Amino acid sequence: MRDRLAAAVKQSRAAYTEIRVERTWSSAVAFRGRRLETATVSEDQGGFVRVLNKGCGWGIASFTSLDALPAMVTRANELSRAVRLDDPIRLAETPPESGDAVLELDGDVRGIALSDKKRLLDRYNSALLAVSDKIVDTQASYRDEVSEVWYVNSEGTSLYQLRPEIVVSGTAIARRNGSIEKGLESIGLRKGWNSVQAFDHQFRVVAQRAVDLLEAPRVRGGAYPVILDNELAGVFIHEAFGHLSEADFVYENPQAREMMTLGRRFGKAVLNVGDNGAAPGLRGTLPYDDEGTPTQDTPLIKEGILVGRLHSRETAAKLGERPTGNARAISFRHPPIVRMTNTYIAPGKQGVGFNDLISDIKLGVYACGAFGGQTMLENFSFTAGWGYMIRDGKVAELVKDVVLAGNLFQTLDRIDHIAGDFTWNQMGGGCGKGGQFPLPVTEGAPHVRIEEALVGGDV
Amino acid sequence: MIDRVLEGARGKVDAADALWRREEQTAVAFESGRLKAAGISEEAGLNLRVLAAGRMGVAGTTAAAPDANELVARARASAALGEIVELAFPKGSGSPLPPIPTFFDRTANASLDDLIRMGRLLVERLARPDCQINVAVEREIADTAVGNTAGARGEYRATGIAVTADVTRIAGDDVLMVYDQYVGADMPSDADLEALVRSVETRLTAALKIVAPPDGALPVVFTPAGLAAVVLPLEQALSGKTVLQGSSPLAGKVGETLFDARLSIVDDPLTPGRPASRPVDDECVPSRATGLVERGVVGRFVYDLETAARAKTQSTGNGRRGVFGKPHIGYTNVVFRMTDGTHAGSESHALGGGLIADMDDGLIVDDLIGVGQGNVISGAFSHPVGLAYRVQRGEVTGRVKDAAVAGNAYDLLKRIGGFGTDGRWLGSRWSPSMRLEGVSVARR
Repeated sequence: MRDRLAAAVKQSRAAYTEIRVERTWSSAVAFRGRRLETATVSEDQGGFVRVLNKGCGWGIASFTSLDALPAMVTRANELSRAVRLDDPIRLAETPPESGDAVLELDGDVRGIALSDKKRLLDRYNSALLAVSDKIVDTQASYRDEVSEVWYVNSEGTSLYQLRPEIVVSGTAIARRNGSIEKGLESIGLRKGWNSVQAFDHQFRVVAQRAVDLLEAPRVRGGAYPVILDNELAGVFIHEAFGHLSEADFVYENPQAREMMTLGRRFGKAVLNVGDNGAAPGLRGTLPYDDEGTPTQDTPLIKEGILVGRLHSRETAAKLGERPTGNARAISFRHPPIVRMTNTYIAPGKQGVGFNDLISDIKLGVYACGAFGGQTMLENFSFTAGWGYMIRDGKVAELVKDVVLAGNLFQTLDRIDHIAGDFTWNQMGGGCGKGGQFPLPVTEGAPHVRIEEALVGGDV
Repeated sequence: MIDRVLEGARGKVDAADALWRREEQTAVAFESGRLKAAGISEEAGLNLRVLAAGRMGVAGTTAAAPDANELVARARASAALGEIVELAFPKGSGSPLPPIPTFFDRTANASLDDLIRMGRLLVERLARPDCQINVAVEREIADTAVGNTAGARGEYRATGIAVTADVTRIAGDDVLMVYDQYVGADMPSDADLEALVRSVETRLTAALKIVAPPDGALPVVFTPAGLAAVVLPLEQALSGKTVLQGSSPLAGKVGETLFDARLSIVDDPLTPGRPASRPVDDECVPSRATGLVERGVVGRFVYDLETAARAKTQSTGNGRRGVFGKPHIGYTNVVFRMTDGTHAGSESHALGGGLIADMDDGLIVDDLIGVGQGNVISGAFSHPVGLAYRVQRGEVTGRVKDAAVAGNAYDLLKRIGGFGTDGRWLGSRWSPSMRLEGVSVARR
């Protein structure tokens, strides 16, 4: 395959040409309530060509028929030439890379019978349903894939990557008369079959929580001191800050660049943030990004100060910085854009725990788990799965519908305590940007305290 | 292609149906006012569903020349694990499908230069010294063929075009983002593009001044874009699937008045000029409109073939399928109508759709952050505002930040304070602004 791509690159008349071809083997099982929805095996394949010419913009072609590859290279070249640009697009230099990067499969999912996968998910789904007769519905899904990715460009890079992925998730829906609540467990790993065998307890816990939430009051809206658990703190840093650190937001926007000037203070000295695409074994981990740049650990905030950002080759060249290996595409159907990988808030002092964070809070909210988050850059939202009130330094009653409203400049700066209990949260789902969803990412964080944050709700 | 695969399935399974779709997309992207990229994508795929020994299975492929035997074998393996479903595929009736134009020559024939010209025009019209303008123009041509072993066939060509304008204004630490989109099956007229420009400008201009948010239980006008949080729970609850699963708050409520008596909601796949319109659904069921809510009364739920069979009712023609996975329920064009005789057409371009004159203190909400991420089906929502304006003594006084709105869609839609005169399409939903009373507004 690499030879075929190299030949097509060689024949290209464009100044710069890159070709990515993917073949993805996947299987999926889904239950809804007690019924099996589907059990399927699929194979998807296709290619992506991107070219650049002097004084011109990007020409892009994606396709499912690989026989069309040479024609698509020609077509991409024509498209590039139709886009005239005064200010040329430059790509930051990266040394040519070549080789095979085969990630650990940890039980190759291609060798496991579909009936075994159905049996595993049936077990987890039954665990959800068995918790209570108030669990009226469930949505349980299993999906695995092994993706082969070939990447060749006209600068001599030639790579083959084998990327596994496995996601098991379950939503339990509890109902009592008119009220309906849900509990969600989701495990997403860049691994294989062996890694998803022992999550029964976790599934039972979320179903029980959905039942408990039926009796819980809605949180009262207002400003509170808020403690985020590890999972929500991870989603928080992804939404609150991660997207702002993606250089495609600033690279052509002088005002944005000024707002995000390196050296600017974003938080107190306790705050350290980074993005690490090279961390072993995580869902956002990749040896190389989709431009063939090796991934790395990129510090973004050091002791409260902005020190870095995430780049593609194009954004790095424009800002005179170095590529960070963050150009990613969800599939051959899309061009690579600047994305996060494994984003983290670094742990605070070792030994500092949850209790140290809440002991001096008279009235606050402990926000746990994550249903999701979304950013509009300056302002963002992150939705907890559940929460507890904190009263007089102690965790008190369970509350529901905990949605936090954040502001980049205020909320980050109000993080005043960070615990030492760091964990990576290996969830399924993924990140969405520019029509590309779901991109596998991971977030990691310890417990984090925000002095004051806005919690939505009835007032 | 369909025939070959269905023929290959004959004798090996009890029954089968299939969908083949080929899509060709051309896109141009302007970033920060400059044309940066042009691209095409070509994709074809086939989805096969079989019933074997009463059990259902599916298989899909994007291979250029699919091996019918391999695909049938994969679908049978899927069926071997599947549930027993008493599914009857629609029979070929011989009568023509409902007439609905889906293919527009002007859209199909638009050249790359035409698309670039349209994008450039928008960039020029929207240019402001303090703003970054991104514009994308995407044109799609799709061929769809559906068929089953009961003899039904459906085939159509469709066009679609989306023109998206994104304006970002950063002043100091204030980030303002305003977005709008034209989506249609036919090319936008000059008036359509003008409306897009005016919509962005109106919202941008009113947002330049920042004012303090109010708090308390207040009247809020949700614009057609802002309504998403209120509409989403209904769309989930009106799906026959959630009803079957027992998780829909509307289950068992057909015929009951649960909403304001002036509110009607229709799913209409036969709306002219919309990209979601089609003569037949992805399971060979001829298209027709479905009254979801009629004058405040819960009407019909939407079904695909499988959920209809399980609920012992008829499919409403809402079957949708991709290349991979099995068919599922999907809405087509969801139209919100007020039915008290007053016209709610696209008359007003002012913010608030004419619903704020008597508002002493409240909000206009145009965008909320995190819609769809909470416990949606319950009807409860709680979101920070993405783009919202304060109304004081009947006037828009400026943009509010750092505020969050919360409420329950079912409670709020019981008594609607008013329907705006600014009805419009937004993606595949048509609605005017709606004024809802007693929405919780919290501020920092």
